[in-house]
Amino acid sequence: MPRVGRLLHGAGLLAVFAVTIFPFYWMVSSSFKTQTDLLASPPVWLFTPTLANYAEVFADQKVVGAIVNSLIVAVFSTGLAVVLGTPAAFALARYEFRGKSDLWFWFISNRFISPIVLALPIYLVAQNIGLLDTHLVLILVYITFILPIVVWICTDQFRSIPRDLEEAARLEGASQFDIFWRIYLPLGVPGIAVSAIFGFIFSWNELLYALVLTRRAVQTAPVVATSFMSGYELPWGKIMATGTVIVLPVTIFALLVSRHMVRGLTMGATK
Amino acid sequence: MGAEQEAGVIGTKGEFMRPLLRNVSAAIALLGSALWAAPPAEAQAQGQAWDIAKAAAPFKGTQLNVIFLDRPGYRAIIKLLPEFEKQTGIKVNYEIVPYENTREKEVLNFNSQGDLSIALVDLVWIGEFAENGWIVPINKLSGDPAITDPNLNLKGFFPLLLDAFGSWGGTTYGLPFDNYSGLLFYNKCMLKDAGFDKPPATWDELARTYAPKLTDPAKKQYGYALQSLRGETQSADSFMRMLWPAGGSLLDKSFRSNLGGKDSQAGLQFRQNLMKYMPPGVVSWDHAEAVNALAQKQVAMITEWSAFYSTLTDPKTSKLGDCLGVAPEPAGTAGRLPALGGFSLAVASQAPEKEQKAAWIFIQWATSEAIAKPYVQAGGVSGRMAVYDDPAVKTAYQFVDPMVASWQKGVPEFRPRFPAWPAVSEIVAEFGSKMMLGEVTTEQGAKEIGTRMEAILQKEGYYDGKKKLIQ
Amino acid sequence: MSTARPRPFYTGYGRLTPLWFLAPAVLVLLVIGIYPTLFAVVTSLRRYNLTRSRDGFPFVGFANYQQVLGDPTFWETLGRTAKFFLCVMPFEVALGLGVALLLHQPGFRGLRALARVSLVVPLATTYAVVGLLGRLIFNRDFGIANSLIGLFGVPSFDWLGNSAGAFAAICVMDVWQWTPFCALIFLSGLSMVPVEIEEAARLETASKTALLRHVQLPYLLPGLTAMLILRSADVLKLFDVVFTMTRGGPGAATELISVYIQRVGFRVFDLGTASAQALLLLVITIILARVYIRFFYREIE
Repeated sequence: MPRVGRLLHGAGLLAVFAVTIFPFYWMVSSSFKTQTDLLASPPVWLFTPTLANYAEVFADQKVVGAIVNSLIVAVFSTGLAVVLGTPAAFALARYEFRGKSDLWFWFISNRFISPIVLALPIYLVAQNIGLLDTHLVLILVYITFILPIVVWICTDQFRSIPRDLEEAARLEGASQFDIFWRIYLPLGVPGIAVSAIFGFIFSWNELLYALVLTRRAVQTAPVVATSFMSGYELPWGKIMATGTVIVLPVTIFALLVSRHMVRGLTMGATK
Repeated sequence: MGAEQEAGVIGTKGEFMRPLLRNVSAAIALLGSALWAAPPAEAQAQGQAWDIAKAAAPFKGTQLNVIFLDRPGYRAIIKLLPEFEKQTGIKVNYEIVPYENTREKEVLNFNSQGDLSIALVDLVWIGEFAENGWIVPINKLSGDPAITDPNLNLKGFFPLLLDAFGSWGGTTYGLPFDNYSGLLFYNKCMLKDAGFDKPPATWDELARTYAPKLTDPAKKQYGYALQSLRGETQSADSFMRMLWPAGGSLLDKSFRSNLGGKDSQAGLQFRQNLMKYMPPGVVSWDHAEAVNALAQKQVAMITEWSAFYSTLTDPKTSKLGDCLGVAPEPAGTAGRLPALGGFSLAVASQAPEKEQKAAWIFIQWATSEAIAKPYVQAGGVSGRMAVYDDPAVKTAYQFVDPMVASWQKGVPEFRPRFPAWPAVSEIVAEFGSKMMLGEVTTEQGAKEIGTRMEAILQKEGYYDGKKKLIQ
Repeated sequence: MSTARPRPFYTGYGRLTPLWFLAPAVLVLLVIGIYPTLFAVVTSLRRYNLTRSRDGFPFVGFANYQQVLGDPTFWETLGRTAKFFLCVMPFEVALGLGVALLLHQPGFRGLRALARVSLVVPLATTYAVVGLLGRLIFNRDFGIANSLIGLFGVPSFDWLGNSAGAFAAICVMDVWQWTPFCALIFLSGLSMVPVEIEEAARLETASKTALLRHVQLPYLLPGLTAMLILRSADVLKLFDVVFTMTRGGPGAATELISVYIQRVGFRVFDLGTASAQALLLLVITIILARVYIRFFYREIE
């Protein structure tokens, strides 16, 4: 019985991997196809790969620049959201005060409103104070979308941290900030990592604001990827190559933080 | 009629007076822009080569901002741009935007006094841009000989293009830059195998004789494909394409819906009947899919924009090779009324005066007769007539003859160009594709479109005399 | 932050302490968020069409709201969005939970790590590209979807060319993209179950279901609430994927509420009406969120 279970477990994991990765695989393999192979019917699995699409993508200076822009925007907006959001989550998780649940809800609700209607006022403000086409404007806007996630996930995470650790620290004379800094932050890393991944991915992929608020200087990766869609011709190979190039940095980021997503860390610390 | 001045600039330039120009409708179209008394300086300057460097000298270092698309016409001008920048010292900053977002970007920019100095105007936006005062009538600038090309020669544009892409209410705002005509692209070999040695001349012929013989669903072979994806593709490429040749139209003279009329219904019904010979699923097809179906020899005929010629001749994207044939779109009972589309460039009113002048110099250059040939050779489609008389151009590009033929006559309001079009287009797209799916009959669909469209036009003030009925 | 200074003899916390921790986040959200939101509220009370800016933007009271509430298309698209949510959410939650449990179970370290990282990939794929990928995958002729169902003997199907197929296709792409989101949230919930408790429970019972129900579930519920709320809000805003894949068609088969608002707001540029629509949606989202919290959100203590 355990062996069958183990087998099922392995097979399940493989299936998860295969299904998750398949469309991505299809995108990557399409990015190595010529247009003729891409549009062959039925689709071809084996083909002579071509680097032409990548050559075209990288010949376009824009793509590299866009990746850098996206990286700047995603790192700063996520970083700032974590810096701002974790103390707030700590307060929401640990303190009692009036209006706490309303405040918590208000944080979350910042994600609810449709960006289509906020785009215009934000555009007008940005234009007035000269922030159009800068990294800063995107970072600021994205913070408002990432903060709710950080506050939310981290509040939950912090709540699950046993109180006795805190009591012990307090007896040793730790300040509230010490407790936050030395106990909650390190133990909350899995939650922080998960919220940071979501935040990073959100700002990495955001299209609507990026389209409206940027011009030439700060085009982000999704903006460039969609600029090939002229509504007229679809250079599938080029789009798929750009798509692949865009996904890579996020995957690398995920690899970097993924070890924090394991429970091992919490386990060691609790002991 | 606004004060017009081109007459003097164009004057009596006999060498450009092609026979086509004498076409009556052309003359009428241009009449509006032919009443300006030219300053004598310009008359003298005629015939001389334009010293663009001298004209641009005061604007050296000016930065122009414009939105471009990722299409062949723009790639072509981008290739030629360094030469312009070198000669004039004017810098052109272009931002490439997907077509779907172009209008949104421009409208936001114009509403907030942004930095765009040139407007890229799709034929269907001209009414909106002009009525809002976002673009400058060219006669405001062309009166200044210091910044105007003596060979501007507005009569050298296809009158239909200048009229449809660049003019609104009798005033010219933009010069035709990226030009398209609907053409019939077909697979000569497939037609030959089915016993046809020439393409169908009429829609009726296409549907009755050609399509049945060329369709064999068992082999996944279809006679014809019509790109009909919901959006502008449905409303312009699919719906209107079938409406006009049958004698139908969207609006009647008083701007009420004409879709319930006999001719309009005949056109829409024709489209339904033709679907037997189209691949299933054309309602989800955009241009790319239709072009590809022809390129992969799954479909014998498509009606598509002229600019797809290069995609269809490129061995990387097409299996057609020598089998590719190009002809004007078939004629309907109301004559040959092919799809018409394209973009003009116009000076943006929000730009400071100096920038406007520099923008005017750029627009003239990009659409000039002098640059037409290199532009075509770089992959663009010029709106100038003269270049297509060049034997080198004619022989190199199979699409030239049918395209020139298509531009002889047409309806500028193929899609109404009034400001309400974007809203109307959405409705046409929704119910047009519902008709094709059989979710509504052509009568029901026409009724739905009619009610909703008239509600929009009512709001716009077309029915209470507040607004002139121009489209 | 003033609390940053160590205070050696301080034990409890003062009334203002929460404030110091909360202030930065609250201030930033207020400064960035309040103006645009107020602007949207004011706009919803005006006739505000950007392509008629010469006519000015007069106040019209609640006329925009009235118009929206009486607009059949608004309700149709809203209903379709609800249907979409009900189609995708059960799959995403169930599959997400299954995946999270598989990943949480000890054994196969390498494979687990690989699968866990692969979860990020769908999330990381730019939405507009997902839509295009969908068009490539579900194409009738050169799409891989038909080849795959062909392996099981199902005949080729014209996914995007008919209403039901197109709706199913956008559902499939959404489930693909968002199941990992649910899985990751569930996984972080599972990782919060104290190890001692979980191990004790494992010794007591061999039943996985019992373990899940009595030990792990309380830790999963907050995550589930988060998922439901965030996904509801996201589905109401879902735009890029649908737009690039089907543009809301064929017919109106995939026209979700956000596609409709985009059409009103950025095609017709009737921002007055679009703002009214969006604010009504905001109210709906808030009500939904309240309901979820009421039913699912319990503190783990």
